Amino acid sequence: MSKAMICSCEDVTVDDIRHAVSRGFCDVESVKRYTGFGTGICQGKSCTAAVAALLAKEKALKPAAVVPFTPRQPLYPTELRMMASAPVDESQPPVGGLPQEVDHFPAALRPEGPVPAKAKVVIIGGGIMGLALAYNLARAGETDVVVLERGYLCAGASGRNGGGVRMQWGTPSLVELAKRSIDLMKGFARELGINVWLRQGGYIFLAKTKPVAQRLERNVSLHNRFGVPTRLITPDEARGIVPGLTMKDCLIASYNPEDGVIFPWPFLWGYAQGCQKRGVRVETYTDVTGFETSGGQVRKVKTTRGDIACDTVVLAAGAWSPQVANLVNVKLPNEPHRHEILSTEPLKPFLGPLVSVLDSGLYFSQSMRGEIVGGMGDAKEPAGLNMGSTLRFVSRFAQALMEQLPQVGHVKVLRQWAGCYDVTPDNNPILGRTPGLDNLLQMSGFVGHGFMMAPAVAERMAKWMATGESDELFTRFNLRRYSDAAGHSREFGAGTLEREDMVIG
Amino acid sequence: MRRLPDVPPRGRAITVDLEGESLPAIEGEPVACSLVAAGEPLLARSIKYHRPRGPYCFAGACSHCLMRVDGVPNVYACRTPARDGMKLERQNAYPSAKVDIFESIDWFFPKGMDHHEMFAGVPVAEQVMAKVARQLAGLGLLPREPAPDVAPARTVRTRVAVVGGGAAGTAAARVLAERGVDFLLMERDAWLGGRLAHGAPEAGAPAIEDADRFPEGSVLTRATALGLYDDAEGRFLAVGVWEGEQPRLLKVYAERFLLTPGGHPPTLPFENNDLPGVYAGRAASLLLRRYDVAPESAALVGWGAELHALANLLHERGVKVVAVVDLRDAPPAGAHATAVRGDAPKAHGLREVSAFSFTREGGGREKVACDAVLVSVPVSPSFELARQGGAKVPFDEARGLFVVEADANGRTHAADVFAAGDVTGGGTAKDAAAAGRRAAEALVGGLS
Repeated sequence: MSKAMICSCEDVTVDDIRHAVSRGFCDVESVKRYTGFGTGICQGKSCTAAVAALLAKEKALKPAAVVPFTPRQPLYPTELRMMASAPVDESQPPVGGLPQEVDHFPAALRPEGPVPAKAKVVIIGGGIMGLALAYNLARAGETDVVVLERGYLCAGASGRNGGGVRMQWGTPSLVELAKRSIDLMKGFARELGINVWLRQGGYIFLAKTKPVAQRLERNVSLHNRFGVPTRLITPDEARGIVPGLTMKDCLIASYNPEDGVIFPWPFLWGYAQGCQKRGVRVETYTDVTGFETSGGQVRKVKTTRGDIACDTVVLAAGAWSPQVANLVNVKLPNEPHRHEILSTEPLKPFLGPLVSVLDSGLYFSQSMRGEIVGGMGDAKEPAGLNMGSTLRFVSRFAQALMEQLPQVGHVKVLRQWAGCYDVTPDNNPILGRTPGLDNLLQMSGFVGHGFMMAPAVAERMAKWMATGESDELFTRFNLRRYSDAAGHSREFGAGTLEREDMVIG
Repeated sequence: MRRLPDVPPRGRAITVDLEGESLPAIEGEPVACSLVAAGEPLLARSIKYHRPRGPYCFAGACSHCLMRVDGVPNVYACRTPARDGMKLERQNAYPSAKVDIFESIDWFFPKGMDHHEMFAGVPVAEQVMAKVARQLAGLGLLPREPAPDVAPARTVRTRVAVVGGGAAGTAAARVLAERGVDFLLMERDAWLGGRLAHGAPEAGAPAIEDADRFPEGSVLTRATALGLYDDAEGRFLAVGVWEGEQPRLLKVYAERFLLTPGGHPPTLPFENNDLPGVYAGRAASLLLRRYDVAPESAALVGWGAELHALANLLHERGVKVVAVVDLRDAPPAGAHATAVRGDAPKAHGLREVSAFSFTREGGGREKVACDAVLVSVPVSPSFELARQGGAKVPFDEARGLFVVEADANGRTHAADVFAAGDVTGGGTAKDAAAAGRRAAEALVGGLS
């Protein structure tokens, strides 16, 4: 059958590119994500220029806005065993990570024309949190909403995570929210008309040390109380679920077959399209530059495309939240911490669950497309909005993965990238009103697991905002917990909540 | 494709095993070359529509030739030397790549499929689709056995890391050698010269440098730059190199990075541009010049000086050139007799190319029989390393390419990154060599 291929690795045709443009995806990064061009084995070597030429010719982009997508390491598919051969000094913190486009987008990509002069609600951050909230507000009838996003949809952590969704948490609130989120994910395509490829292959957490094993044991009864069918399994049972898994040095594992993986990007596109259909404005490539306040209220949000007078502001900027809050002299205790991740060549299905070694922060799963997608936390990672990639990460990951799954030695890494966890002192989110600035609402601090919480959190938050009914979520997780009665900051690390200890990495 | 008659073999005759069938090959040549010369251009099925695929770029820059080689999935057959008895399997096909029932996907979706919206939210269908999609996704099976370990990575320190041993890189290296500056030149191929060695011949091109004439240890062939990184000790290139038959990872720290990697053979979107028998122009000149393998009859399409030079080269070596379609300009003086300006190219054939059609300027549709369609357009600059290093990569609208922005002396936006040759936007090999020399001289001046 005649087809004109533009990206033959992923079977993307010229018509597919045009279709993406018709859906509003015009910049190269967005077209890449929507069509999948450049995500295959060759990583865009043969097709990027052809796609750019098509976008330029059909006037989807101004010439200055035609910039290639970020070229990731490795430039050629490279076996994990090669990557594993670089020595890693675990006693030293990771250093490095070359600057990325995500640090500063070209002004040419900014849409022409100003943002609306006023809106009832301005949401800062077009990641899954902000978009899901805007969608839920619109569904509740509040459509006078503007979402501000500094880059393209998927530029931040929502587009950089591994797509794991799980109910195995250590505290009741998160178990409950995650369970609700996964239910919402099941109905997402029906509600928003876009597939998100939820695959409930389960999560297996491995414990190498006694304290971690005890943590897993303790969680089982908590999970079961919420109807989550987590159970402890022996190393042999784990090997039965994942053939080839060595379980090296592992004492025990916990398994919930209802956890799973999703494809993150369509959530953002689906929510954004749902918003736009209802009249909500989603403004990409638009930076917040400041605020105007008076009488304990935010009055205006200033942006690179004009000011917006508003009644309510929601800060849902993930790892960028402390930086944005600083513009209005609000100190948030969150810190961005880089987490690196990689993706391999696509293989036929061989791995059902997401597997994580809780002790080391290693996790890996197989995406719907067949790639092994995985990462590994680095306890020595310094705070900072660093989204560069290191050889150290890919070496550590390869070593740790090959220890648990030796057959992957010949499997080739296609690309590595990084995103930032938005880390709070107690590993719990920050939600609700800001002390001293009553109409500034916080929606951040999800410590790398915001994606899987967002559908449920946004549902609760929209209801709380629209109806004014009280909801314990927004008092329990209020920013106030980090201050004493007189409003002074507690020592860093303090808070009044039980610390969530089921964070990977 | 076939081996040219009356040419002495370039190496030892061996056999390789293609799914149980024994095929002749020449030891050391890319095994994809052996296969096409043996009349087996269909090497794979594509990931989504299961379209037949054969090697296209012979540069590791597409994915048309990925095969399972000795139990390892997704190996570039175009970059893998033929070894006696090596086992080759085609991937992503059932029951076989020649008769693949999943080819029906291509016919069921003549206008393509939108996997985002297909069956979205349709009860039952949605779940069935998810299950089917999971089984159809992916290329190749996980290897059955653990891989042997590779030797620990080696750290190399040099003053200037030169990436790419074509006209620009070797000319720059010559300057560095003359000035006594310590450098390491890395070249992906087993030979130096780049397009001088395997492109279409070019009038006035400089001679190819001999690796042995550079200071000992300063030239590494079969060395692929995998990325630019930094750590506590500075910026370095991760490089994959073959040491004999063993792969090795190098960390190459340098004070300056002189990037002369040339370009990738790009795809040219036209109907059936992915059919086995459609090759990049540079692939055709490589096969002809280095391995004496060529089509019997070929149609050429593209633009630029290399298109016409390739047509003439093929003609001289006895290939029947049936059409040369220049998509941009009127054919220059000295172009092949069949050269015309034209539009709307299309490849024809069921599992491999059997014909080519186009619209002649001011004329009608023409269709010619041929066994290969060769796509010769200017290479797409390999800007990746330069961009990782902080250079600017604007889009050149006239040429339809991203180019690395560099001044006449190769200086880029990043202080330690210099670029010359095709990566900055093309020109002749002579121009590239001159640019390489200027860049080397400029960066030597800046070294303390």
